[in-house]
Amino acid sequence: MYKINSPLTITEDGIQLLKKAEKDNVETVWDRHKAQQPQCGFCDMGLSCRICIMGPCRVDPFGEGPQAGVCGADADIIVARNLCRMIAAGAASHSDHGRDLVEVLASVATNSAPGYTIREEGKLKLLAQEYGVETEGKEILAIAGELAQAMMEDYGMRKKQITLVKRAPEKRRKVWETVGITPRGIDRETSEMMHRTHMGVDNNWQSLLVQGLRNALSDGWGGSMIATEVSDILFGIPTPRPTMVNAGVLKDDHVNIVVHGHNPVVSEMISLACISPLLLELAKRKGAKGINLAGVCCTGNELLMRRGIAMAGNHLMTELILSTGAVDMMIVDYQCIMPSIGKVAACYHTKIISTSDKAKFPGMEHHEFHPENAQKKAMSIVEMAINNFPNRKEVFIPVKPQAAVGGFSVETIVKALGGTADPLIDAIKAGKIRGAVGIVGCNNPKIMHDYGHVTLTRRLIENDILVVDTGCVSVANAKAGFKVPSAIEMAGPGLKEICGSLGIPPVLHLGSCVDNVRILVLVSALANALGVDISDLPVAGSAPEWYSEKAVTIGVYCVASGITTHLGPMPPIAGSMNVVKLLTQGLEDVVGATFAVEPDPEKAALFLIRHIEKKRAGLGLDSRSL
Amino acid sequence: MKEVVVHPERCVGCMQCMLACATAHSRTLKLQTAVLETPQPKPRVHVGAGIFNEGFPNRCRHCDPAPCLSACLAGAIFLDHDTKTVMINPDRCINCASCAMACPYGVIRFHEDPFAPPGKTVAVKCDNCDARVAAGGIPACTETCKTGAFTFEEISNAMKRKTREVACAMSAESRTSGIPPEISLVRSMKQACLNR
Repeated sequence: MYKINSPLTITEDGIQLLKKAEKDNVETVWDRHKAQQPQCGFCDMGLSCRICIMGPCRVDPFGEGPQAGVCGADADIIVARNLCRMIAAGAASHSDHGRDLVEVLASVATNSAPGYTIREEGKLKLLAQEYGVETEGKEILAIAGELAQAMMEDYGMRKKQITLVKRAPEKRRKVWETVGITPRGIDRETSEMMHRTHMGVDNNWQSLLVQGLRNALSDGWGGSMIATEVSDILFGIPTPRPTMVNAGVLKDDHVNIVVHGHNPVVSEMISLACISPLLLELAKRKGAKGINLAGVCCTGNELLMRRGIAMAGNHLMTELILSTGAVDMMIVDYQCIMPSIGKVAACYHTKIISTSDKAKFPGMEHHEFHPENAQKKAMSIVEMAINNFPNRKEVFIPVKPQAAVGGFSVETIVKALGGTADPLIDAIKAGKIRGAVGIVGCNNPKIMHDYGHVTLTRRLIENDILVVDTGCVSVANAKAGFKVPSAIEMAGPGLKEICGSLGIPPVLHLGSCVDNVRILVLVSALANALGVDISDLPVAGSAPEWYSEKAVTIGVYCVASGITTHLGPMPPIAGSMNVVKLLTQGLEDVVGATFAVEPDPEKAALFLIRHIEKKRAGLGLDSRSL
Repeated sequence: MKEVVVHPERCVGCMQCMLACATAHSRTLKLQTAVLETPQPKPRVHVGAGIFNEGFPNRCRHCDPAPCLSACLAGAIFLDHDTKTVMINPDRCINCASCAMACPYGVIRFHEDPFAPPGKTVAVKCDNCDARVAAGGIPACTETCKTGAFTFEEISNAMKRKTREVACAMSAESRTSGIPPEISLVRSMKQACLNR
């Protein structure tokens, strides 16, 4: 039975900081979630439509009131249109993030982005070859410029398919061709999705959802993939390195700067400024022992993956981190930044800086970063943070930090395995590792904070299933202690043996939420090595505490790529049993994978274990019954 | 005589009834302008959240005998026998809150109201939309509700229907609860989020 006073979070720092926030009269996301109850049932079921102003319309789920909007759209059409617009918004967000990185790459090529460089020439050349850019005898910067141009064409130009689709196994590409969902252009699919959902365009709920699949694929194998690959080129391919997590990473004797958002374009420059001798000297003069940079959300993950920078928390911790009173400055770029943050900061001495021309927030100082000024801006912003250090008042850092290892890119995983994926495949074939699950996504106040992530991860590794994670899940799992080599003690015997011999934890941090594409690349490599389709592999995806439109898109491109995906909270589709059945059953015949919804992580674990054992049987491997 | 009958199991928590109620008790009678009025009109029906955050439309029961009426020392609360409506006269109300303490359902609020003397805080509650009904309309909450959580009908009709529903549910062959699968699905999902 639900208890009104049950804790809101399973994390010790979260519990203590919630008390602190309450004492300081700081309103949090949980207060606002409570104030919103009951939430509108029409919207919850996807049955309200605000697309045109003959409406707004609602369809009565009890079947007695109106059964169609003013235009005549029934529950199936309204639910499908609403879901498709969520997919379009998610794809647009990731892909626009990718575009910003391509623009930096183009600026680097013309020497107009001081501070940024090509850190991975090898990867740049590999990508150039994939894009058909001639590399022989060319300067690195010339290659970068041509690659940036070729990537931009993936966004808009009319073509048969986007370039990186060919990374998918041949069998998978055939499926896409047959269904007609090979993405043709990154912006094109999002544009077409918005067009189709305009009143009076596509009013067949099945064909709307099919375009939803194609739109999501344009993100997964397009915008997001470009974002990750260009980030690696500009800032380095992640390699495993030790780090620290939770609110305890803030230091009471250092200038604490927290970066929040998603794009490494800003946070990388900040991280460089934080180690500048000039500014370290200034920090000392102001009475601080040094400058401590930490992250929240995915821009923190980007820094953690490449620099081992500590993570203070995930999505639902972003307000609570400020209530420590220890943050001298928070620097945000875009996505998942609650507009309440400025108000929380105003209760303390914390300065908050917004940096993106496309993301401004109440109560924040706006200092716009562009490739040409980022280096200088970063220096001046960090200087402001240092000057704010003497203004600190009461500081409450509730816990000691937890050690973790992050930074597993596909490249480093393969390297750790000795150059090929064979040892992993052998371990799966031998049944020591039963399979793998990518646990991804956000936090949501509808689920006890981090309970979904940590419970599911624990159950899976106990059952010899390797877990890879990204985004807010990776912080939850690191805080729970799953990301130190000794965490193999929590794993089943087979997984323990394999991870122990490789010296890796049973839960691997693959990066930020755009980095979910690393999972696509990894499963493609596994499928190719076995000569099967992705949908034949003993793998699955899960988003136990998802909240955002981006997460919808990620889930859809995973399923469209053949990875059956579990969702914790129910998406707003319950108003149409046709849509529910298509997504949870019908897609099996279309793309070989489906969605499953189960808010309880214990039950979700059973579902995922059964799914993996079923896939093992399909490959002729030993299969356990549960 | 028709009365408002509440069917809480049909409430989806959208709170449209609250907006419609406040608008119906405004001077301008349009949502877009009602929100600009001073004093601000306020809803007299209140949607609360249950254990699983499901909606519950909480509306005056118009009790008879009414505890609020018995508790009102100023004689501001009276029963309109024709419409079986417990009414409050804002001119007589002394804002003592005795009625709210007596009310078992917590449906009485205290604030300035467009129809009370200016600047005076008074007790405000559901009036069964007497003005709308007198003009041939139906109560605003009932009119706006898209799921039938409110009906405006002869109480005897409602009783007959309920008897029939209960009888059907007791039939050996019957497995229908009257709740569509879409609603059951979204409710079970909401409960699972909180049920630990």
